[in-house]
Amino acid sequence: MKTDDLITLLASDPAPAPAASLGLRAGIGLLAGLAVTLVLFFWLLGPRYALFRAESDPVVAAKTVLPLVLGLLAVVLTLRSVRPGAPLGRTRRAIWLVPAAGAALFLWSFVTTPEQARLRDFLGHSIPVCLPFIVVLSVPLYAGFLAALRSGAATRPVLSGALAGLAAAGIATTVYSMFCNEDSPLFYATWYSAGILIATGLGAAAGARLLRW
Amino acid sequence: MPDRNQHWSDLLRRANRGDGAAYAVFLAEVAPVVRTICRQRSGGAEDVEDIVQEVLLAVHAKRHTWREADPVTPWLYAIARYKTADAGRRRRGQGGQVPIDTVAEVLPEETGDTTAARDLAQLLGRIDTHSAGIVRSVGIEGQSAGEVGARLGMTEGAVRVAYHRALVKLKDLAGAEADRAD
Repeated sequence: MKTDDLITLLASDPAPAPAASLGLRAGIGLLAGLAVTLVLFFWLLGPRYALFRAESDPVVAAKTVLPLVLGLLAVVLTLRSVRPGAPLGRTRRAIWLVPAAGAALFLWSFVTTPEQARLRDFLGHSIPVCLPFIVVLSVPLYAGFLAALRSGAATRPVLSGALAGLAAAGIATTVYSMFCNEDSPLFYATWYSAGILIATGLGAAAGARLLRW
Repeated sequence: MPDRNQHWSDLLRRANRGDGAAYAVFLAEVAPVVRTICRQRSGGAEDVEDIVQEVLLAVHAKRHTWREADPVTPWLYAIARYKTADAGRRRRGQGGQVPIDTVAEVLPEETGDTTAARDLAQLLGRIDTHSAGIVRSVGIEGQSAGEVGARLGMTEGAVRVAYHRALVKLKDLAGAEADRAD
């Protein structure tokens, strides 16, 4: 077939089929994923004792708020990344403020924690719970988000997959932090970050396969 | 060229509102630019025209991802680069797999002045509806074999084979047609 003939064929169907916008689909996908994540959370973990009293301490609140900010910024970046040629914009730099804040909290805590308590606080008592659960709680969010992203057009599927993984992990970590009673930044700035990184890597690997079109 | 951007945005906006003539002009003006990108990016592949057509099909299938406020050219070029790279990857990693031909190969180049669009629609009407549906989904709407398979309850490989067979059938029909016309 000649290219001109193909153009004639395509031009016979000019307007795209009306469909929900990408943002709306993503919102629905993430909310559906969040519902499943919350079911898993209440079934397998549950909120910590005296959650609200604990979270009134800003250092403790940071372990809930920072991942949430990270996740929401990553949602924005992911949605931009599945529109061909769309710049990621300032958010691309702004998102680095979150790990910077985590690192600052870690350093502050390192300085203010007595030397003999540092290793104990750093290792905590729940690494084997923290790492797998951050990943597990991310999975439903990631799946819901990805289903929506497939209606976009990722020209960098690995990047989009990684960003989607980061978004899912950020929100999942926010949920997880309400179970976790490790309140030293020496612990959470390290191990939450590690869990989020694992989920981001898995997201990149899945995106490389599932976001190609 | 901001001027061209504006012009193309205008055409594509009108296309989004159902203006087929504007859409035809848009695609016709875009095709040579896409061809240049494909030629450069594919390192002078022999089948550049196939890649160009794949890009146009991709633009068509994903035209809802362009937002009317955004410039058209970065969007278009990103799709052209992605599809050219994808075509290269597919060609290199094809070993042993049933190739996905493009619908574009079905009709002979020398279809003369009859429009291939009408020909294709007519030809699709002469094969079984199941195969015709697969050709429409994969070849014209640009869905992946995996997606179509999931919808029809077939494996991706089965969709590829069915698509390939349907194209061979269409090619035969088109050939017979051309012979009669001669």
